[in-house]
Amino acid sequence: MQKEIRQTWFFRQPPDEVWEYLTKPELIEQWLMKTDFKPIKGHKFRFTFTAKPGSKYDGVVHCEVLEIKPFSRLSYSWNGSIQDKTRNYNSTVVWTLVPMNNGTELQLQHDGFTVLDDIFAHNDGWNGCLKKMQDQINAIKK
Amino acid sequence: MRTQTLDAFQVIADPSRRQVLMMLSKHTMTINSIAENFDMSRPAISKHVKILYTAGFISIKDIGRERHCVLKQDGFNEMQNFINYFDKFWTSKLKKLETLLNNKAK
Repeated sequence: MQKEIRQTWFFRQPPDEVWEYLTKPELIEQWLMKTDFKPIKGHKFRFTFTAKPGSKYDGVVHCEVLEIKPFSRLSYSWNGSIQDKTRNYNSTVVWTLVPMNNGTELQLQHDGFTVLDDIFAHNDGWNGCLKKMQDQINAIKK
Repeated sequence: MRTQTLDAFQVIADPSRRQVLMMLSKHTMTINSIAENFDMSRPAISKHVKILYTAGFISIKDIGRERHCVLKQDGFNEMQNFINYFDKFWTSKLKKLETLLNNKAK
């Protein structure tokens, strides 16, 4: 079972230019969401979006800058709830910029979905486990 | 006893239910053997088991007089959908960023 998100993108711009799109609210808004982000460790900020009617998500993501290393690494917490407020999730987003000869490799890691952590941790080899249980059940039946 | 209908997140928000799932990830158990591991009344355990069953985390098989609990995939799928949602979310956002940067380069 997948328990984290990892994506790698390549852009032709150098890291400092890509960095601006990760850290300047007016640029972030153009591709991600409205935000009051500031590039300061410990700064608490929000991303807001208009949740589609009927969508599970409530339109606000609560964040805090966890780590900031100009032009190379940025991470923030990413916490939210699903519309009826009874289901909260905590997670972490990490951006890593790797300079390349002809541009920048941008890596995204979104993980640490804490509500789910211990379940996922015990869910390794799920299918094998399930098979074993079925065998056990069948053995009992005999 | 009335069984509430809870979604996957509410179901696993409860530590006792998480513990039941973890015990079941090792081997199948009867409701009685689950109850032996908890400092809780048998009806309270039955209620948790029922909640897990209703949300699709376990199935219950009657074998003779015993009720055996077995893990089931369905409940976990909802959480997988949640992760998938964000995976798609980032793909669409980063595509937007790519377009922005490409246009800027021109």
